[in-house]
Amino acid sequence: MSDYIVEMRNITKRFPGIVANDNVSIQIKKGEIYALLGENGAGKSTLMSMLFGMYEPDEGEIYIRGEKTQIESPNHATKLNIGMVHQHFKLVSNYTIAENIIMGMEPMKKALGFIPMVDIKKANKEIAELSKRYGLEVNPEDVIEDVNVSIRQRVEILKMLYREAEILIFDEPTAILTPQEIQFLLDIIRGLRDSGKTIIIITHKLDEIKQIADRCAILNRGRLIDVLDVKTTDTKTMANMMVGREVNFKTDKKDPVFGEEVLKVDNITVKNKDGLPVVKNVSFSVRAGEVLAIAGVSGNGQIEIADAITGILNVDSGKIYLNGNDITDKTVRQRIDAGIDYIPEDRNAVGMVMDFTLAENLALKSYYNEPFSIRGILNRPAFDSYGNKLIEKYDIRSSQGNPTIVRTMSGGNQQKAIIGREIEHESTFMIFVQPTRGLDIGAIENIHRQIIEERDKGQAILLISLELDEVMNLADTIAVIYSGEIQTIADAKNLTLDQVGQFMMGVGSDE
Amino acid sequence: MNSIIIDGLVFALPLFIMAMGGIFSERSGVTNLALEGLQGFGAFTGAFAAVMIGTVSPDMSPTAIMLLALVFAVVGGVLFSLIHALLCIKLNADMVISGVVINILSMAFTEFLTKLINAGIFNMPSNKFVLTVTDKITVPGISKIPILGAVFTNLYIFEIIIAVIAVVAWFLLYKTKYGMHLRASGDNPHALDAAGINVAKTRLFAVMISGAFSGFAGMCFAYSISSSFSSTIYVGYGYIAIAALIFGNWNILPTFGACLIFGFARSGGYKLVQALEMPSSYQDLVMILPYVLTLVLLIFFSKRNRAPRALGVIYDKGAR
Repeated sequence: MSDYIVEMRNITKRFPGIVANDNVSIQIKKGEIYALLGENGAGKSTLMSMLFGMYEPDEGEIYIRGEKTQIESPNHATKLNIGMVHQHFKLVSNYTIAENIIMGMEPMKKALGFIPMVDIKKANKEIAELSKRYGLEVNPEDVIEDVNVSIRQRVEILKMLYREAEILIFDEPTAILTPQEIQFLLDIIRGLRDSGKTIIIITHKLDEIKQIADRCAILNRGRLIDVLDVKTTDTKTMANMMVGREVNFKTDKKDPVFGEEVLKVDNITVKNKDGLPVVKNVSFSVRAGEVLAIAGVSGNGQIEIADAITGILNVDSGKIYLNGNDITDKTVRQRIDAGIDYIPEDRNAVGMVMDFTLAENLALKSYYNEPFSIRGILNRPAFDSYGNKLIEKYDIRSSQGNPTIVRTMSGGNQQKAIIGREIEHESTFMIFVQPTRGLDIGAIENIHRQIIEERDKGQAILLISLELDEVMNLADTIAVIYSGEIQTIADAKNLTLDQVGQFMMGVGSDE
Repeated sequence: MNSIIIDGLVFALPLFIMAMGGIFSERSGVTNLALEGLQGFGAFTGAFAAVMIGTVSPDMSPTAIMLLALVFAVVGGVLFSLIHALLCIKLNADMVISGVVINILSMAFTEFLTKLINAGIFNMPSNKFVLTVTDKITVPGISKIPILGAVFTNLYIFEIIIAVIAVVAWFLLYKTKYGMHLRASGDNPHALDAAGINVAKTRLFAVMISGAFSGFAGMCFAYSISSSFSSTIYVGYGYIAIAALIFGNWNILPTFGACLIFGFARSGGYKLVQALEMPSSYQDLVMILPYVLTLVLLIFFSKRNRAPRALGVIYDKGAR
């Protein structure tokens, strides 16, 4: 009776303290690419988790191919030909690609005619054929830990295809990919659609939706806002609906007022663990009231520059000065106390102690000073009052406030906490590395505004980002790094996006 | 020379089967420090069964009794391992603590039971079950080959059984569906779960295998080392087996190599004491050789080796 392959009717799902989905209904046609758009915490993943059998809805019904179905487990979903690529891959790292794909559905043979064993040769052959058929080239015999994330994602996709999935769910598939890899993936997804599969893609990246999706459902705080035809809707409208208010892609900013030179990096070279130089004779300086952005493709030495300035890595040669003082041989804490703030790329590993509470994390750079610690003994009330102040000021949302374990918080709120902590810390110089990675538009806009605010207050700011848009939007001065060497440093006004892109590839130097 | 090989194997092979048990458990993700306790409890059940059978039917041959004792030891080991499985898999207890507790529990419990049973059933105030000496096998023909022949000389029947089990275990772990699931469970249980396979069940079987193998090993030690069961069975062989499987990088073949080294170090040490005509108290010095070797090898091996990634991590569906 129904021409929809998937119908979710009036779905409501509650978690303690939150309504993740509130009376959401979506209908998906066979053979279309259907996007679920929404900010972090809008309820996209929860909705799809229910379709994949990981949770059961509190209210509402799910129809698959017109039939009312209760999906009890991911196993059951697989039997209904539903497959899902999770944000966090579920792969066995010391197994080959083929072994990972066949696990649970192993082709068998009989050793000596009667002992059942896994037929790995047959598996390798089958996977090679499968990967060719869908253009997802992989070598079945490669071990997972030796291949990059893009290949791993292909393995996850092949896993679904091996199980003959007809309905493919992708949860934020492009978050971890480089631009080229993203294009490749989008092509694959289109190819899958053309071969008759139905695709559901969860994302908050508008341009990707624009590129591939046929229709797009917009969720905000658990509610379905609208379902749009992608062709006839512009990204600006989508963004506004997703965030629930007017969004500015371009951050308003005044002309910069440059002050004294705050940070000076003088001819530094940094070597990696293997003794190879990853930062080569790099020099630059950042003035008060200036945003200097280092643009570059990932892995060209930019993270090492940040780590050298903050003291996490030692420089092999060269000097670093902060406000005219040589800090090259200072410890990390001495540098913090001298006035360096650091918003690191890896929130979980470097930015926070994940199993500490929010209040403790907010005081992470000052806990050893009064009033947080008096004669070496921690003063809990000071943590709490300071925590309350920052939570309020930076709108950090969590389930319980101060005592919340930060691991349970969303990425956007973790980042708010880190940025709040660093801004509050007394400093003259701030490093932001990939400050908006993995965040949604609303949060990105907010962070960009804060960066500009800090600049206008007279902070010297070093921004390291892989997002070219972010660099172009915020920087007063742009340095482009390639292979550990600065290719150019110029006033942002004098560089176009294309030029920066050229320098990033190491081919822009002939003027 | 021959006696070094013969005695070395008698020690190395039970150690090896116990280490294999540890490999099964740990490759599935369950840390198993309980090997010591499992082998002790297995030896207790086996020895108790042997003494009972010997009393009930005195005509039965010692070899048949030993075979039955081994079966009972396996059952005892499996039963005792269920405690570890219950704590680590079902109740999400810390695996290291569970293992250590089981070792202490096993030692106290079997010591108590042995005294109780001896006093109650056999009317003998003793803290050990005495086992009958069994025949050993010498393979005709090949045992005449110089040096290598010693491998086939004066074999306990359990040594042959261990060799057969080892081949089966190797096949099970690396070539079958279950083995594949087991190893996946120790690397990324989420992946296994996503493939529709029950992680808890996979781990439960793995722990039971470790119980069976350890129980078997304990019985072998009871026969070969003291011809009896008493609390002297708890001298740390379980920990040496763990050391062996770590040196063997959680793989069966290299672990066999490590067990051989331990076995020959021990038997070679005894030989040395005899050859140098040292006073017998120096035998005790030799007893520490495997442990010293453990320490030395640890220094060299621990850097290179890699434990299963999910080893010791309680499987929690929700965690990422």
